[in-house]
Amino acid sequence: MNIYFKLFILFLAMSLTSCEDVISVEVQTAPSRLVIEASLDWEKGTAGNNQTIKLSKSTPYFDTTTITSVTNASVRVVNDDDDTEFIFTHQGNGIYTTTAFIPIINQSYTLEVVHEGETYTANETLTPVVDIDNITQSIDGGFDDEELEVNIIFTDPEAEENYYLYKFKRQGDLLPALEDGDDEFVNGNEITWWFEKEEDDDTDEIEAFRAGDVVDISFFGISKAYSNYIGILIEQSEGAGLFSSTPVPLRGNCINTTTPDNYAFGYFRLTQVVKTSYTFQ
Amino acid sequence: MKNLVLLCMLFTAVLSAQENYTISGIIKEAKNGETAFGASVFLKGTDIGSISNEYGFFSITAPKGTYTLIISYMGFENIKQDITLDQNQKVNFEMEEESTQLDEVVVVAEETERVSLKKPEMSVSKLNIRTVKQMPVVLGEVDVIKSLQMLPGVTKNGEGTGGFHVRGGAVDQNLVLLDEGIIYNTSHMLGFFSVFNADAIKDIKLYKGGIPARFGGRISSVLDVRQKDGNSKNLSFTGGVGLISSRLAVEGPMFKDKGSFLIAGRSSYVNLFLAAANDENRLGFYDLNLKTNYKLNDNNKLYLSGYFGRDTFKFGKSFKSSYGNASGNLRWNHLFNDRLFSNLSFIYSKYDYDLEITDDEFDWISSINNYNIKYDLKYYASDAFKLDFGMSGIYYDFDPGQVRPTSETSPINPLSLDRKKAFESGLYVNAEHKITDKLTLQYGLRYSGFSRLGGVAMKNYANNQPVVYNSTLGIYERGTEIGETTYKKGESIKDFGNIEPRMSLAYQLNEFSSIKAGYSRSAQYIHLLSNTTSVTPLDVWTTSGKYIKPQLSDQYALGYFRNFNNKKYSLEVEGYYKTTDNRIDYIDGSNLIGQNTIETEILNGEARAYGLELLVRKNEGMFTGWISYTLSKAEQRTLGGTAGGPGINNGNWYNSSFDRTHDFSVTGAYELNDKWTFGGNLVFQTGRPVTYPNGQYQYEGQSVASFSDRNSDRLPAYHRLDISATYKPNRKPNKRWKGEWVFGVYNAYNRKNAASISFTQNETLGINEATRTAIFGIVPSVTYNFKF
Repeated sequence: MNIYFKLFILFLAMSLTSCEDVISVEVQTAPSRLVIEASLDWEKGTAGNNQTIKLSKSTPYFDTTTITSVTNASVRVVNDDDDTEFIFTHQGNGIYTTTAFIPIINQSYTLEVVHEGETYTANETLTPVVDIDNITQSIDGGFDDEELEVNIIFTDPEAEENYYLYKFKRQGDLLPALEDGDDEFVNGNEITWWFEKEEDDDTDEIEAFRAGDVVDISFFGISKAYSNYIGILIEQSEGAGLFSSTPVPLRGNCINTTTPDNYAFGYFRLTQVVKTSYTFQ
Repeated sequence: MKNLVLLCMLFTAVLSAQENYTISGIIKEAKNGETAFGASVFLKGTDIGSISNEYGFFSITAPKGTYTLIISYMGFENIKQDITLDQNQKVNFEMEEESTQLDEVVVVAEETERVSLKKPEMSVSKLNIRTVKQMPVVLGEVDVIKSLQMLPGVTKNGEGTGGFHVRGGAVDQNLVLLDEGIIYNTSHMLGFFSVFNADAIKDIKLYKGGIPARFGGRISSVLDVRQKDGNSKNLSFTGGVGLISSRLAVEGPMFKDKGSFLIAGRSSYVNLFLAAANDENRLGFYDLNLKTNYKLNDNNKLYLSGYFGRDTFKFGKSFKSSYGNASGNLRWNHLFNDRLFSNLSFIYSKYDYDLEITDDEFDWISSINNYNIKYDLKYYASDAFKLDFGMSGIYYDFDPGQVRPTSETSPINPLSLDRKKAFESGLYVNAEHKITDKLTLQYGLRYSGFSRLGGVAMKNYANNQPVVYNSTLGIYERGTEIGETTYKKGESIKDFGNIEPRMSLAYQLNEFSSIKAGYSRSAQYIHLLSNTTSVTPLDVWTTSGKYIKPQLSDQYALGYFRNFNNKKYSLEVEGYYKTTDNRIDYIDGSNLIGQNTIETEILNGEARAYGLELLVRKNEGMFTGWISYTLSKAEQRTLGGTAGGPGINNGNWYNSSFDRTHDFSVTGAYELNDKWTFGGNLVFQTGRPVTYPNGQYQYEGQSVASFSDRNSDRLPAYHRLDISATYKPNRKPNKRWKGEWVFGVYNAYNRKNAASISFTQNETLGINEATRTAIFGIVPSVTYNFKF
């Protein structure tokens, strides 16, 4: 529901604003923190044994040069019920992997990262996701009635609250697009989630979807706590306009048990995901 | 309370037992019969005098004798009349416009705008509509709210945002009254235009502090806007044609000279252009003002007034929306005797919006309705003692939101948020007491009560904590629901009561200067929920109740006032300190839309503001205008309280988003000759506090910003210059049609003032960048105004 309000206000603001330009601004610089990108995503139809965790450090906002990989940490994940331990080993560039992970739906796991004498832990439960019923394309949906959009159609389970994360990336694009949603107003219904690219008329740098474009789609079932986290992250990465919420320091679930104030950025998430791609006709 | 009133009456009855007589009456403008508010009436050679009220009524009581009565009202010829006070008498006066003045041009400030040294009233900004009309404006549309910002202590969150801020207060802390009806949204098109049509308005008064006891319900300010009564002498037309909108007002006598009427309408025509350009989008606004009055007899007069305004938007086939205010008011002026004036008002007002999402086939509606009855009395006991007293009751019916699918195939389930009903009452008494020739006191009390009414089920929470601090993750979360309590219709869920003392004093140092001091306490029971930088038309109001406490504010003010050069110049300096308890603040990531349990998203915080305001005016001559400067600070803090934890922003004080360290402006008008008048505004303001990133990290294949503490950065300073020129073509003195051209340039040196700065990762280059959004560059305009 939020999304409608945001989009409406965004449109309202856009229709009235006259000028946008990139300027140089001085910002504050906070001390660097550890960043834990522990996204254990179990792709439907696979065994889910291969998992990756990325560790890095945060940098000043406009910094483009610093190498941020964290290469000297020890990383493990434990199944909370049977204490099965999965050790992630460093592969270079701050990437830690395992080939032995055993994903279990609704099972809770604990992450432990030890870095420079400090221990970070996080706890999360693996959230399932329904199958995608159908993927279609259309032109008259979405905001722009002249541009193509892709539609993901699935049926929301009625029995519980569900939270979803969608990731769309056109092949050849630099950045993915993330969107989040829940079933608050649509519980138990067939849901159609559309995605289109807004053409940037000013710079011509971003193009709308064309026939032949291939878009990679990931459709995640996520926990409520992660939904809160990623929702704020997505909203804030869209930039703070006049009608957006005041940005807040975003805290994930990775806590520092040695020095609590020195918490880590990032999140330990456990999801089930449907991955597919769609070629525009 | 009742006893107090009786006591005061008794006291004054004793005073008036001497041989005192009263002269009372109504003061009007001779040309159109419009009542004169703020005309000064006094007896020559004495200190005895009075100012006419909103309905033009005055009453003076003096010992038996012969006097010269003088009435002055700026822009009009003084009336001098010898009177013999040997009995109570009623005389009505009509003021002729000054013959030296050409037509309706007034290049001197109105008397009501000038410094009154004796009245304890302080922290008040008055603008006559004629002054407002002379100021340069964006797109040629006269705007009351923008004009107020040229006065000290009043700011706005930049262009393209609704509402205004007074002395570091929030938008919802302003009580905005149009002919006593509460206006919930003061702007059209997101703040580009105000809802007040200048052709229908008589005057504007903004109380920034020292709010008189007869007003209640908001803690920051009262903006009291009065509509014209309508010309009771001739049928006349006023109108204007601008680039964006046009307006027309008709006024004239009716009921065989026992009354008059005014109908004013205004509409934008952007839609015509959009349609012509084959654009699917639509945006526009219109409003309608109505007023009529009927004189039953010398002691009884009825007024009926109404306002209806609406904004409409449509974006392709995706969205349709409309929102607006409506209000209606029936008033009965009754004169019990020549010293006791009363007014009874029945007021209805409403704000609602409708957002239709065409793609997903549903409608979202929300509304506020309130029914208000007010009874105000003023007793002119003696020259030294005047008493205001009265009561009011407001019944609120809030509908925070309903989702209605518009078709069978809509994927959206219907939903209704709980309606919120409440009753607010007020009882007040206020005395204006001249202790000596030099010292005048104003002291009063308001008792306000509020009941949140039942007919609804309220959730209960474990440990009575709707919000809980999760100490492991260091975040605030919603509490654990443990069932709910159902309250019957008419049953009260929670009652509040507050005693609000209001007092001020004026001490005249000498003929030219005085000092004034004031203290006031006020309570506010309804709150606008908004966690965005600027309020939007879609924000909803909520009531105090089981979990939300009323806001309580204390304000102290001290001022120095001086006239120079025979009132040609005036100086006003005021300092203030204000604290507010129970200011709602929002937990990180709060979700306010479609939220039935608002209490799980907020914490109760506090706010404080202090500042120094300076206003220098030049009131007469070819060149008139003023310089205004405010140095101020506005902060807030929210501790964890019952939710535990350190609080929002770690429990530290942080800048409110309407904090402005410096706010400087110059406003001037220059009358070159009969044909040409020029106007100019210059504004400089410290940038708005905002939250910028203080770092970045890689997550999900993109750069994610981490942010610093709340509002610890600032936008670049805001400044701009506006100029205007008014041309009145040669016209014969007796010709009925009077036209004028107004040429204006807003933001003359094309400053790109940042409305916001947004930090994003460039989608093609992958680098982080800061994007400035500026709303208005240089905007020229031309308007033709007419009158006949």
